[in-house]
Amino acid sequence: MSEMTLTRKNSRVFRELNTTLTVMARDITLLFKSPGSLIMSLVMPLIMMGMIGGNLMQNMAGGLGFDFGGFMLVGMLVNMLFMMVSMNMTSLVDDHETDFNQEMLVSPVSRYSLVIGKILGATFGAIVSMAGTLIVGVIMGITLPGGKLLLILALAPLFCLSGGALAMIMIGLIKSKKTANMAVMLITMPQMFLSGAIIPINQSSGVLMVLSRLMPMTYCLDLARAVVYAGSPEYDSMVMFNPVINFTAITVLTVACLIIGTFFYARSEKNR
Amino acid sequence: MNKVIEVNNLIKQYKGMKAPSVDGISFGVEQGEFFAFLGPNGAGKTTTISILTTTLSKTSGEVKIAGFDVEKESRQVREKVGIIFQQPSLDPNLTAEENIRFHACLYGMCGYRPTFKLMPAAYRQKVMELAEIIGIEGALFRPIKKLSGGMQRKLEIIRSLIHTPDVLFLDEPTQGLDAVSRRSLWEYIDDTRRRYGTTVFLTTHYIDEAEKVDKVCIINHGKIAICASPEEMKRTVNFDPTPKICLPSLEDAYIEFLNGGTAA
Repeated sequence: MSEMTLTRKNSRVFRELNTTLTVMARDITLLFKSPGSLIMSLVMPLIMMGMIGGNLMQNMAGGLGFDFGGFMLVGMLVNMLFMMVSMNMTSLVDDHETDFNQEMLVSPVSRYSLVIGKILGATFGAIVSMAGTLIVGVIMGITLPGGKLLLILALAPLFCLSGGALAMIMIGLIKSKKTANMAVMLITMPQMFLSGAIIPINQSSGVLMVLSRLMPMTYCLDLARAVVYAGSPEYDSMVMFNPVINFTAITVLTVACLIIGTFFYARSEKNR
Repeated sequence: MNKVIEVNNLIKQYKGMKAPSVDGISFGVEQGEFFAFLGPNGAGKTTTISILTTTLSKTSGEVKIAGFDVEKESRQVREKVGIIFQQPSLDPNLTAEENIRFHACLYGMCGYRPTFKLMPAAYRQKVMELAEIIGIEGALFRPIKKLSGGMQRKLEIIRSLIHTPDVLFLDEPTQGLDAVSRRSLWEYIDDTRRRYGTTVFLTTHYIDEAEKVDKVCIINHGKIAICASPEEMKRTVNFDPTPKICLPSLEDAYIEFLNGGTAA
Protein backbone atom coordinates (compact mmCIF):
# COMPACT_ATOMS: atom_id res chain seq x y z
CA MET A 1 0.00 0.00 0.00
CA SER A 2 1.38 3.43 -0.84
CA GLU A 3 2.15 5.74 2.09
CA MET A 4 -0.58 8.34 2.51
CA THR A 5 -0.20 11.13 5.00
CA LEU A 6 -2.90 12.48 7.25
CA THR A 7 -2.24 16.17 7.66
CA ARG A 8 -4.00 18.88 9.58
CA LYS A 9 -6.15 21.35 7.65
CA ASN A 10 -5.24 24.92 8.46
CA SER A 11 -8.43 26.73 7.42
CA ARG A 12 -10.08 28.01 10.59
CA VAL A 13 -13.52 28.16 8.94
CA PHE A 14 -13.24 24.54 7.78
CA ARG A 15 -12.13 23.42 11.23
CA GLU A 16 -15.02 25.14 13.03
CA LEU A 17 -17.69 23.99 10.56
CA ASN A 18 -16.26 20.48 10.59
CA THR A 19 -16.37 20.50 14.40
CA THR A 20 -20.01 21.57 14.45
CA LEU A 21 -20.86 18.88 11.89
CA THR A 22 -18.93 16.20 13.80
CA VAL A 23 -20.52 17.02 17.17
CA MET A 24 -23.97 17.16 15.54
CA ALA A 25 -23.41 13.84 13.75
CA ARG A 26 -22.32 12.20 17.00
CA ASP A 27 -25.57 13.16 18.73
CA ILE A 28 -27.64 11.93 15.79
CA THR A 29 -25.68 8.64 15.74
CA LEU A 30 -26.33 8.24 19.47
CA LEU A 31 -30.04 8.86 18.93
CA PHE A 32 -30.20 6.05 16.37
CA LYS A 33 -28.25 3.77 18.69
CA SER A 34 -30.75 4.41 21.47
CA PRO A 35 -34.18 3.33 20.21
CA GLY A 36 -35.66 4.34 23.56
CA SER A 37 -34.81 8.01 22.93
CA LEU A 38 -36.26 7.80 19.42
CA ILE A 39 -39.49 6.23 20.71
CA MET A 40 -39.62 8.90 23.44
CA SER A 41 -39.40 11.59 20.75
CA LEU A 42 -42.49 10.12 19.12
CA VAL A 43 -44.41 9.41 22.34
CA MET A 44 -44.00 12.90 23.79
CA PRO A 45 -46.34 14.47 21.19
CA LEU A 46 -48.96 11.91 22.13
CA ILE A 47 -48.90 13.22 25.69
CA MET A 48 -48.51 16.90 24.89
CA MET A 49 -50.70 17.23 21.82
CA GLY A 50 -53.03 14.26 22.26
CA MET A 51 -53.74 14.39 25.98
CA ILE A 52 -53.14 17.98 27.12
CA GLY A 53 -54.19 19.56 23.82
CA GLY A 54 -57.11 17.19 23.32
CA ASN A 55 -58.43 17.89 26.81
CA LEU A 56 -58.18 21.65 26.32
CA MET A 57 -59.98 21.41 22.97
CA GLN A 58 -62.83 19.41 24.41
CA ASN A 59 -63.31 21.42 27.60
CA MET A 60 -62.13 24.95 26.92
CA ALA A 61 -62.09 25.81 23.24
CA GLY A 62 -65.84 26.18 22.73
CA GLY A 63 -66.35 29.87 23.55
CA LEU A 64 -63.05 31.29 22.39
CA GLY A 65 -64.30 32.62 19.05
CA PHE A 66 -61.36 31.25 17.02
CA ASP A 67 -60.07 27.92 15.75
CA PHE A 68 -58.35 26.65 18.88
CA GLY A 69 -57.16 23.49 17.15
CA GLY A 70 -55.01 25.38 14.62
CA PHE A 71 -53.79 27.78 17.31
CA MET A 72 -52.76 24.89 19.54
CA LEU A 73 -51.12 22.86 16.77
CA VAL A 74 -48.70 25.70 15.97
CA GLY A 75 -48.09 26.19 19.70
CA MET A 76 -47.41 22.51 20.26
CA LEU A 77 -45.08 22.28 17.25
CA VAL A 78 -42.88 25.08 18.57
CA ASN A 79 -43.24 23.93 22.18
CA MET A 80 -42.19 20.41 21.20
CA LEU A 81 -39.07 21.77 19.48
CA PHE A 82 -38.09 23.74 22.59
CA MET A 83 -38.91 20.89 24.97
CA MET A 84 -37.09 18.15 23.05
CA VAL A 85 -34.04 20.30 22.33
CA SER A 86 -33.76 21.12 26.05
CA MET A 87 -34.17 17.44 26.97
CA ASN A 88 -31.60 16.33 24.41
CA MET A 89 -29.15 18.98 25.59
CA THR A 90 -28.88 17.14 28.92
CA SER A 91 -26.57 14.73 27.05
CA LEU A 92 -23.91 17.32 27.94
CA VAL A 93 -24.27 16.15 31.53
CA ASP A 94 -23.75 12.54 30.36
CA ASP A 95 -20.61 13.75 28.60
CA HIS A 96 -19.45 15.28 31.86
CA GLU A 97 -20.13 12.05 33.76
CA THR A 98 -18.22 9.91 31.23
CA ASP A 99 -15.41 12.53 31.01
CA PHE A 100 -16.07 12.86 27.28
CA ASN A 101 -16.37 16.61 27.88
CA GLN A 102 -12.63 16.64 28.58
CA GLU A 103 -12.00 15.16 25.15
CA MET A 104 -14.05 17.92 23.54
CA LEU A 105 -12.67 20.75 25.64
CA VAL A 106 -9.02 19.85 25.13
CA SER A 107 -9.43 20.03 21.35
CA PRO A 108 -8.25 23.19 19.53
CA VAL A 109 -11.66 24.44 18.46
CA SER A 110 -14.05 27.18 19.49
CA ARG A 111 -16.41 26.36 22.35
CA TYR A 112 -19.19 27.92 20.29
CA SER A 113 -18.65 25.32 17.55
CA LEU A 114 -19.01 22.57 20.16
CA VAL A 115 -22.16 24.06 21.68
CA ILE A 116 -23.81 24.83 18.34
CA GLY A 117 -23.00 21.27 17.22
CA LYS A 118 -24.66 19.94 20.37
CA ILE A 119 -27.75 22.07 19.76
CA LEU A 120 -28.01 21.00 16.11
CA GLY A 121 -27.62 17.37 17.16
CA ALA A 122 -30.40 17.85 19.69
CA THR A 123 -32.46 19.46 16.92
CA PHE A 124 -32.72 16.16 15.07
CA GLY A 125 -34.62 14.50 17.92
CA ALA A 126 -36.79 17.60 18.20
CA ILE A 127 -37.70 17.44 14.49
CA VAL A 128 -38.74 13.81 15.01
CA SER A 129 -41.05 15.02 17.78
CA MET A 130 -42.36 17.71 15.48
CA ALA A 131 -43.28 15.00 12.99
CA GLY A 132 -44.97 13.08 15.81
CA THR A 133 -46.98 16.18 16.73
CA LEU A 134 -48.17 16.52 13.13
CA ILE A 135 -49.23 12.86 13.06
CA VAL A 136 -51.19 13.26 16.32
CA GLY A 137 -52.69 16.46 14.83
CA VAL A 138 -53.87 14.56 11.76
CA ILE A 139 -55.45 11.91 14.01
CA MET A 140 -57.24 14.72 15.90
CA GLY A 141 -58.35 16.28 12.62
CA ILE A 142 -56.04 19.31 12.85
CA THR A 143 -53.82 20.00 9.84
CA LEU A 144 -51.77 22.81 8.31
CA PRO A 145 -51.45 23.67 4.60
CA GLY A 146 -48.35 22.05 3.05
CA GLY A 147 -46.66 25.34 2.07
CA LYS A 148 -47.04 26.82 5.57
CA LEU A 149 -45.80 23.60 7.10
CA LEU A 150 -42.68 23.75 4.97
CA LEU A 151 -42.08 27.33 6.09
CA ILE A 152 -42.34 26.26 9.75
CA LEU A 153 -39.98 23.39 9.02
CA ALA A 154 -37.54 25.87 7.49
CA LEU A 155 -37.74 27.98 10.66
CA ALA A 156 -37.38 24.93 12.97
CA PRO A 157 -33.54 25.02 13.17
CA LEU A 158 -33.71 28.68 14.24
CA PHE A 159 -36.28 27.84 16.91
CA CYS A 160 -34.16 24.90 18.09
CA LEU A 161 -31.04 27.03 18.21
CA SER A 162 -32.96 29.51 20.33
CA GLY A 163 -34.32 26.81 22.67
CA GLY A 164 -30.95 25.07 22.91
CA ALA A 165 -29.12 28.32 23.68
CA LEU A 166 -31.59 29.05 26.49
CA ALA A 167 -31.18 25.53 27.89
CA MET A 168 -27.38 25.94 27.83
CA ILE A 169 -27.57 28.69 30.45
CA MET A 170 -28.73 26.13 33.01
CA ILE A 171 -27.37 22.86 31.65
CA GLY A 172 -23.88 24.32 31.16
CA LEU A 173 -23.60 24.73 34.91
CA ILE A 174 -25.12 21.41 35.96
CA LYS A 175 -23.05 18.32 36.73
CA SER A 176 -25.69 15.71 37.66
CA LYS A 177 -28.27 14.09 35.41
CA LYS A 178 -30.97 14.28 38.09
CA THR A 179 -30.53 18.04 38.49
CA ALA A 180 -30.38 18.46 34.71
CA ASN A 181 -33.75 16.71 34.29
CA MET A 182 -35.26 18.99 36.90
CA ALA A 183 -33.73 22.01 35.18
CA VAL A 184 -35.33 20.98 31.88
CA MET A 185 -38.75 20.99 33.54
CA LEU A 186 -37.93 24.36 35.05
CA ILE A 187 -37.07 25.75 31.62
CA THR A 188 -39.82 24.17 29.54
CA MET A 189 -42.95 24.22 31.72
CA PRO A 190 -43.08 27.99 32.42
CA GLN A 191 -42.38 28.67 28.76
CA MET A 192 -45.26 26.51 27.61
CA PHE A 193 -47.71 28.59 29.63
CA LEU A 194 -46.08 32.02 29.54
CA SER A 195 -45.16 32.07 25.85
CA GLY A 196 -48.63 31.31 24.54
CA ALA A 197 -48.14 27.77 23.26
CA ILE A 198 -51.57 26.60 24.36
CA ILE A 199 -53.12 29.65 26.04
CA PRO A 200 -53.33 33.04 24.26
CA ILE A 201 -51.26 35.71 26.05
CA ASN A 202 -52.55 38.82 24.26
CA GLN A 203 -54.18 39.98 27.50
CA SER A 204 -51.28 39.16 29.84
CA SER A 205 -50.15 42.04 32.05
CA GLY A 206 -47.78 42.82 34.93
CA VAL A 207 -45.12 40.28 35.85
CA LEU A 208 -46.56 37.62 33.53
CA MET A 209 -46.29 39.96 30.57
CA VAL A 210 -42.70 40.91 31.46
CA LEU A 211 -41.74 37.25 31.82
CA SER A 212 -43.38 36.32 28.53
CA ARG A 213 -41.45 39.07 26.73
CA LEU A 214 -38.15 37.75 28.13
CA MET A 215 -38.71 34.27 26.75
CA PRO A 216 -37.38 33.51 23.28
CA MET A 217 -40.21 31.03 22.71
CA THR A 218 -42.76 33.89 22.79
CA TYR A 219 -41.19 35.36 19.64
CA CYS A 220 -40.68 31.96 18.00
CA LEU A 221 -44.35 31.13 18.51
CA ASP A 222 -45.45 34.52 17.26
CA LEU A 223 -43.26 34.18 14.16
CA ALA A 224 -44.66 30.70 13.48
CA ARG A 225 -48.21 32.00 13.84
CA ALA A 226 -47.39 34.97 11.58
CA VAL A 227 -46.37 32.42 8.92
CA VAL A 228 -49.49 30.29 9.41
CA TYR A 229 -52.03 33.13 9.63
CA ALA A 230 -50.45 35.43 7.01
CA GLY A 231 -53.20 36.78 4.73
CA SER A 232 -56.02 35.44 6.89
CA PRO A 233 -58.63 37.57 8.73
CA GLU A 234 -57.48 36.11 12.08
CA TYR A 235 -53.91 37.44 11.63
CA ASP A 236 -54.37 40.53 13.84
CA SER A 237 -55.93 38.61 16.71
CA MET A 238 -53.41 35.74 16.56
CA VAL A 239 -50.12 37.58 15.97
CA MET A 240 -48.77 40.06 18.51
CA PHE A 241 -45.65 41.49 16.83
CA ASN A 242 -44.37 42.33 13.39
CA PRO A 243 -42.31 39.35 12.05
CA VAL A 244 -39.26 41.62 11.78
CA ILE A 245 -39.53 42.37 15.51
CA ASN A 246 -39.94 38.65 16.21
CA PHE A 247 -36.93 37.74 14.11
CA THR A 248 -34.80 40.47 15.72
CA ALA A 249 -35.87 39.46 19.24
CA ILE A 250 -35.14 35.78 18.51
CA THR A 251 -31.69 36.65 17.15
CA VAL A 252 -30.76 38.95 20.03
CA LEU A 253 -32.02 36.57 22.75
CA THR A 254 -30.43 33.53 21.07
CA VAL A 255 -27.03 35.21 20.71
CA ALA A 256 -27.19 36.46 24.32
CA CYS A 257 -28.16 33.02 25.66
CA LEU A 258 -25.51 31.32 23.51
CA ILE A 259 -22.75 33.60 24.78
CA ILE A 260 -23.80 33.24 28.43
CA GLY A 261 -24.47 29.49 28.17
CA THR A 262 -21.18 28.74 26.40
CA PHE A 263 -19.29 30.86 28.91
CA PHE A 264 -20.88 28.94 31.81
CA TYR A 265 -20.19 25.59 30.12
CA ALA A 266 -16.50 26.28 29.44
CA ARG A 267 -15.98 27.97 32.80
CA SER A 268 -17.70 25.32 34.92
CA GLU A 269 -15.37 22.66 33.56
CA LYS A 270 -12.24 24.77 33.90
CA ASN A 271 -12.77 26.78 37.09
CA ARG A 272 -12.79 24.33 39.92
CA MET B 1 17.70 23.07 23.20
CA ASN B 2 14.37 24.92 23.38
CA LYS B 3 12.15 24.52 26.39
CA VAL B 4 8.81 23.21 25.18
CA ILE B 5 7.23 23.25 28.66
CA GLU B 6 8.00 26.13 31.01
CA VAL B 7 6.40 26.26 34.45
CA ASN B 8 7.23 29.12 36.80
CA ASN B 9 5.91 29.36 40.35
CA LEU B 10 2.65 27.60 39.49
CA ILE B 11 0.01 27.63 42.21
CA LYS B 12 -3.39 25.97 42.13
CA GLN B 13 -5.83 26.16 44.98
CA TYR B 14 -9.21 24.50 44.39
CA LYS B 15 -12.37 26.31 45.50
CA GLY B 16 -13.19 25.58 49.14
CA MET B 17 -9.77 24.09 49.88
CA LYS B 18 -7.62 25.56 52.65
CA ALA B 19 -4.26 24.71 51.10
CA PRO B 20 -3.05 24.78 47.50
CA SER B 21 -2.85 21.43 45.68
CA VAL B 22 0.08 22.73 43.67
CA ASP B 23 2.24 25.08 45.66
CA GLY B 24 4.64 27.22 43.67
CA ILE B 25 6.26 24.63 41.45
CA SER B 26 8.77 25.48 38.71
CA PHE B 27 10.36 23.23 36.11
CA GLY B 28 11.12 23.02 32.41
CA VAL B 29 11.03 20.29 29.78
CA GLU B 30 13.14 20.46 26.67
CA GLN B 31 11.97 19.65 23.18
CA GLY B 32 12.00 15.91 22.48
CA GLU B 33 12.68 15.09 26.12
CA PHE B 34 11.10 12.14 27.89
CA PHE B 35 10.00 13.60 31.23
CA ALA B 36 8.52 11.81 34.22
CA PHE B 37 6.48 13.60 36.86
CA LEU B 38 6.25 11.29 39.84
CA GLY B 39 4.56 11.51 43.19
CA PRO B 40 2.14 9.72 45.50
CA ASN B 41 -1.66 9.94 45.17
CA GLY B 42 -2.90 13.48 45.76
CA ALA B 43 0.54 15.04 45.26
CA GLY B 44 -0.68 17.37 42.49
CA LYS B 45 0.36 15.48 39.34
CA THR B 46 -3.04 15.40 37.60
CA THR B 47 -3.76 18.99 38.67
CA THR B 48 -0.50 20.07 37.01
CA ILE B 49 -1.24 18.10 33.82
CA SER B 50 -4.76 19.57 33.69
CA ILE B 51 -3.34 23.11 33.86
CA LEU B 52 -0.66 22.34 31.27
CA THR B 53 -3.30 20.99 28.87
CA THR B 54 -5.65 23.98 29.45
CA THR B 55 -8.49 21.97 30.99
CA LEU B 56 -8.04 23.60 34.41
CA SER B 57 -7.34 27.22 35.27
CA LYS B 58 -4.39 28.09 37.49
CA THR B 59 -4.51 30.29 40.57
CA SER B 60 -1.23 32.03 39.74
CA GLY B 61 2.13 31.54 38.10
CA GLU B 62 3.27 31.26 34.51
CA VAL B 63 2.89 28.23 32.24
CA LYS B 64 3.98 28.09 28.61
CA ILE B 65 3.73 25.22 26.14
CA ALA B 66 5.79 25.59 22.95
CA GLY B 67 6.10 29.29 23.81
CA PHE B 68 2.33 29.82 24.14
CA ASP B 69 0.71 30.92 27.38
CA VAL B 70 -1.84 28.32 28.57
CA GLU B 71 -4.38 30.97 29.58
CA LYS B 72 -3.97 33.67 26.93
CA GLU B 73 -3.13 31.40 23.99
CA SER B 74 -4.98 28.26 24.98
CA ARG B 75 -6.07 27.40 21.45
CA GLN B 76 -2.46 27.38 20.18
CA VAL B 77 -1.48 25.25 23.17
CA ARG B 78 -4.26 22.74 22.38
CA GLU B 79 -2.97 22.49 18.82
CA LYS B 80 0.38 21.31 20.16
CA VAL B 81 -0.66 18.78 22.79
CA GLY B 82 -2.14 15.32 22.99
CA ILE B 83 -3.28 13.75 26.22
CA ILE B 84 -4.25 10.45 27.72
CA PHE B 85 -6.33 11.36 30.75
CA GLN B 86 -6.12 9.42 33.99
CA GLN B 87 -9.82 8.56 33.69
CA PRO B 88 -11.03 7.14 30.36
CA SER B 89 -12.64 9.87 28.26
CA LEU B 90 -14.25 7.77 25.52
CA ASP B 91 -17.88 7.82 24.48
CA PRO B 92 -19.08 4.37 25.63
CA ASN B 93 -21.96 4.34 23.14
CA LEU B 94 -19.84 4.88 20.05
CA THR B 95 -17.61 2.25 18.45
CA ALA B 96 -13.84 2.42 18.85
CA GLU B 97 -13.43 3.77 15.32
CA GLU B 98 -16.19 6.36 15.79
CA ASN B 99 -14.33 7.67 18.84
CA ILE B 100 -11.13 8.01 16.79
CA ARG B 101 -13.03 9.63 13.90
CA PHE B 102 -14.56 12.18 16.28
CA HIS B 103 -11.11 13.12 17.56
CA ALA B 104 -9.51 13.26 14.11
CA CYS B 105 -12.27 15.57 12.85
CA LEU B 106 -12.01 17.90 15.85
CA TYR B 107 -8.28 18.20 15.23
CA GLY B 108 -8.90 19.05 11.57
CA MET B 109 -7.24 15.91 10.24
CA CYS B 110 -10.10 15.25 7.84
CA GLY B 111 -13.64 16.29 7.03
CA TYR B 112 -16.41 14.37 8.77
CA ARG B 113 -18.08 11.50 6.89
CA PRO B 114 -20.88 9.38 8.37
CA THR B 115 -19.14 6.02 7.90
CA PHE B 116 -15.58 4.67 8.07
CA LYS B 117 -15.74 3.55 4.44
CA LEU B 118 -16.51 7.11 3.33
CA MET B 119 -13.60 8.60 5.28
CA PRO B 120 -10.47 9.64 3.32
CA ALA B 121 -8.06 6.80 2.46
CA ALA B 122 -5.24 8.41 4.48
CA TYR B 123 -7.40 8.36 7.60
CA ARG B 124 -8.45 4.74 7.07
CA GLN B 125 -4.87 3.68 6.49
CA LYS B 126 -3.58 5.49 9.58
CA VAL B 127 -6.31 4.04 11.82
CA MET B 128 -5.71 0.50 10.60
CA GLU B 129 -1.95 0.93 10.97
CA LEU B 130 -2.23 2.21 14.55
CA ALA B 131 -4.82 -0.43 15.46
CA GLU B 132 -2.50 -3.15 14.21
CA ILE B 133 0.47 -1.82 16.18
CA ILE B 134 -1.54 -1.59 19.39
CA GLY B 135 -3.34 -4.86 18.63
CA ILE B 136 -6.97 -3.76 18.58
CA GLU B 137 -7.74 -4.16 14.88
CA GLY B 138 -10.39 -6.78 15.73
CA ALA B 139 -12.17 -4.43 18.12
CA LEU B 140 -12.25 -1.27 15.99
CA PHE B 141 -15.91 -1.53 15.09
CA ARG B 142 -17.21 -2.73 18.44
CA PRO B 143 -18.90 -0.39 20.93
CA ILE B 144 -16.57 0.88 23.65
CA LYS B 145 -18.74 -0.50 26.43
CA LYS B 146 -18.06 -4.01 25.12
CA LEU B 147 -14.26 -3.58 25.23
CA SER B 148 -12.07 -4.49 28.20
CA GLY B 149 -10.39 -1.72 30.23
CA GLY B 150 -7.06 -2.56 28.61
CA MET B 151 -8.53 -2.33 25.11
CA GLN B 152 -10.08 1.04 25.97
CA ARG B 153 -6.72 2.32 27.18
CA LYS B 154 -5.07 1.22 23.95
CA LEU B 155 -7.76 2.98 21.98
CA GLU B 156 -7.14 6.19 23.91
CA ILE B 157 -3.48 5.91 22.96
CA ILE B 158 -4.33 5.66 19.25
CA ARG B 159 -6.68 8.60 19.62
CA SER B 160 -4.13 10.81 21.36
CA LEU B 161 -1.50 10.12 18.70
CA ILE B 162 -3.56 10.37 15.52
CA HIS B 163 -2.93 14.11 15.22
CA THR B 164 0.82 13.64 15.91
CA PRO B 165 1.11 16.11 18.82
CA ASP B 166 4.37 17.91 19.63
CA VAL B 167 3.89 17.24 23.33
CA LEU B 168 2.20 14.10 24.60
CA PHE B 169 0.86 14.08 28.15
CA LEU B 170 0.38 10.62 29.59
CA ASP B 171 -1.44 10.61 32.92
CA GLU B 172 -0.92 7.09 34.25
CA PRO B 173 -1.32 5.59 30.78
CA THR B 174 -0.66 1.96 31.67
CA GLN B 175 -3.00 1.80 34.64
CA GLY B 176 -4.99 -1.43 34.33
CA LEU B 177 -2.95 -2.81 31.42
CA ASP B 178 -1.43 -6.29 31.47
CA ALA B 179 2.35 -6.75 31.09
CA VAL B 180 2.19 -7.58 27.37
CA SER B 181 0.03 -4.55 26.61
CA ARG B 182 2.28 -2.31 28.69
CA ARG B 183 5.32 -3.45 26.76
CA SER B 184 3.68 -3.00 23.34
CA LEU B 185 2.45 0.44 24.37
CA TRP B 186 5.92 1.58 25.43
CA GLU B 187 7.45 0.20 22.27
CA TYR B 188 4.96 2.24 20.27
CA ILE B 189 5.54 5.41 22.30
CA ASP B 190 9.33 5.00 21.95
CA ASP B 191 8.89 4.57 18.20
CA THR B 192 6.71 7.70 18.02
CA ARG B 193 9.33 9.68 19.95
CA ARG B 194 12.07 8.52 17.60
CA ARG B 195 10.03 9.16 14.47
CA TYR B 196 8.48 12.55 15.30
CA GLY B 197 10.66 13.90 18.13
CA THR B 198 7.58 14.03 20.37
CA THR B 199 8.12 15.39 23.87
CA VAL B 200 6.55 13.01 26.39
CA PHE B 201 5.34 14.12 29.82
CA LEU B 202 4.55 11.06 31.91
CA THR B 203 2.98 10.47 35.29
CA THR B 204 2.93 6.93 36.57
CA HIS B 205 2.91 4.85 39.71
CA TYR B 206 5.00 2.16 37.98
CA ILE B 207 8.40 3.64 38.76
CA ASP B 208 10.19 1.14 36.52
CA GLU B 209 8.50 2.87 33.54
CA ALA B 210 10.42 6.03 34.43
CA GLU B 211 13.84 4.30 34.50
CA LYS B 212 14.55 5.22 30.88
CA VAL B 213 13.33 8.84 30.97
CA ASP B 214 15.65 11.80 30.47
CA LYS B 215 14.50 13.71 33.54
CA VAL B 216 12.40 13.03 36.63
CA CYS B 217 10.61 15.51 38.88
CA ILE B 218 9.16 14.28 42.14
CA ILE B 219 6.23 16.22 43.53
CA ASN B 220 4.97 15.74 47.06
CA HIS B 221 2.32 17.77 48.91
CA GLY B 222 2.18 20.14 45.94
CA LYS B 223 5.90 20.97 46.02
CA ILE B 224 8.76 19.73 43.87
CA ALA B 225 11.08 17.56 45.95
CA ILE B 226 13.73 17.08 43.26
CA CYS B 227 14.26 17.43 39.50
CA ALA B 228 17.13 15.37 38.07
CA SER B 229 18.00 12.59 35.69
CA PRO B 230 17.31 9.07 37.01
CA GLU B 231 21.06 8.45 37.27
CA GLU B 232 21.63 11.65 39.27
CA MET B 233 18.77 10.74 41.57
CA LYS B 234 20.16 7.29 42.21
CA ARG B 235 23.60 8.74 42.95
CA THR B 236 22.36 11.26 45.49
CA VAL B 237 20.28 8.91 47.56
CA ASN B 238 21.34 7.14 50.76
CA PHE B 239 20.91 3.48 49.95
CA ASP B 240 21.48 0.53 52.17
CA PRO B 241 21.02 -2.47 49.96
CA THR B 242 20.52 -5.98 51.22
CA PRO B 243 22.34 -7.91 49.89
CA LYS B 244 25.11 -5.36 49.37
CA ILE B 245 25.66 -6.22 45.71
CA CYS B 246 22.44 -4.38 44.64
CA LEU B 247 22.51 -0.97 43.01
CA PRO B 248 19.75 1.50 43.92
CA SER B 249 16.85 1.54 41.50
CA LEU B 250 14.86 4.65 40.62
CA GLU B 251 12.10 3.30 42.84
CA ASP B 252 14.51 3.18 45.81
CA ALA B 253 15.50 6.79 45.15
CA TYR B 254 11.85 7.80 44.73
CA ILE B 255 10.81 6.31 48.06
CA GLU B 256 13.84 7.82 49.77
CA PHE B 257 12.90 11.31 48.53
CA LEU B 258 9.26 10.92 49.51
CA ASN B 259 10.31 9.81 52.99
CA GLY B 260 12.45 12.92 53.27
CA GLY B 261 15.69 10.93 53.29
CA THR B 262 18.98 12.79 53.17
CA ALA B 263 20.94 12.80 50.00
CA ALA B 264 24.47 11.48 50.09
